[in-house]
Amino acid sequence: MFFKTIWFKCIACLLILMLFSGSSITILADLLFVSPEMRTARAIKKIYGEEKEYTVILDTESENAIEYDGVGKINKIYDVSGDMLFQSTGYHGYKDGTITLWIKAVKYGNGYAVDKVLLETYEKQTLMGKLSGDFYDRFKIADITETYANETFFSAKDKTAENYNPVSGATYSATAACNAVNCVIRYLGGEK
Amino acid sequence: MKTNFKKIAKDGLITSNPTLKLVLGTCPTLALTTAAMNGIGMGLAVTFVLICSNVIISLLKRAIPKEVRIPAFILVIATFVTIVRLALDYFLPDIYESLGLYLPLIVVNCIILARAESFASKNGVLASATDGLFMGIGFTLALTTMGAVREILGSGAIFGYKLWGFSIGFFSSSAGAFFTYAMFILLFALITDKAAEKSRIKKSAKIGDFTQTKEAK
Repeated sequence: MFFKTIWFKCIACLLILMLFSGSSITILADLLFVSPEMRTARAIKKIYGEEKEYTVILDTESENAIEYDGVGKINKIYDVSGDMLFQSTGYHGYKDGTITLWIKAVKYGNGYAVDKVLLETYEKQTLMGKLSGDFYDRFKIADITETYANETFFSAKDKTAENYNPVSGATYSATAACNAVNCVIRYLGGEK
Repeated sequence: MKTNFKKIAKDGLITSNPTLKLVLGTCPTLALTTAAMNGIGMGLAVTFVLICSNVIISLLKRAIPKEVRIPAFILVIATFVTIVRLALDYFLPDIYESLGLYLPLIVVNCIILARAESFASKNGVLASATDGLFMGIGFTLALTTMGAVREILGSGAIFGYKLWGFSIGFFSSSAGAFFTYAMFILLFALITDKAAEKSRIKKSAKIGDFTQTKEAK
């Protein structure tokens, strides 16, 4: 009797649809899966304008991230033709969220210099549109070792800081981005 | 009953343009039209979902009990949105990133659910696919034009290419989005009303000619 009721028809209809939907999504998710290696290759292509070979120095898929208390963490480090490419996450963004950046450091004298900064992803930030290309370009510093030695870290809040990099109306998001870059400065400064 | 494809096309593009006449899908329209490329990306994603969901819903219209038609429609739409997300992330990662949060939100886009409920569930497969296609094109055109205007005025660029150093920041802001949208709706209404009046005058003139000829005879 139950099998002839509208209840059964409704449940059966939704279950069949769900089955078809689930199976087609499962198959496609497998076919169109973007692996972490592919994502890294994409980031490298974005930074260098072409695909490049790289060697893994650190990858949190297999190891623990390098944490800098209250500042952020370095998730990935790659050696791309002698350059160091970092994926770093900065803390203390808006609503205590985070910003993850790709940071390219090139050889400069005996140390390294920040050459390019690119946004990878963010959490809880709502005003990311305010962080324009100019903001990321201001992270380019000539000598990381000197910056670390003089403790002239980036700040979006401290107006007296030598490396003051503010964004009007998005101070917290800018702070998280500054923290991500500061993690790389600390790492290349010798804090490993 | 014979399907009037010309009318379906005209409805999607002009008479019932989802963005400028029905004022549906306002969220992505306001949020994503900072650049023309975003408009194309979002428009094409919505067009794909519209065509596919319309076809499936039209095919299953007799099998889906009316008591669960809305959850069933949402399930079909959500499936296609997930497929679009997977495909964009794989093939066009830049567009996938720029559309961000608004891509999964296509599931609750009023245009798609409205077309499923008011058209696809009552019409044949071919008519539903055509409706999805032209509604999608109407949406894409509106978003792309709005995006182009806001990009030119707000950033002094078009499709990412810098045109000049001059820009009016207001057009890149949320308030600028509302203002541009309002201007577009106003312009579209003016143009379509003028065109409708012209064709009405033409029609009445034709009727007048016909009556005169009849009287003369």
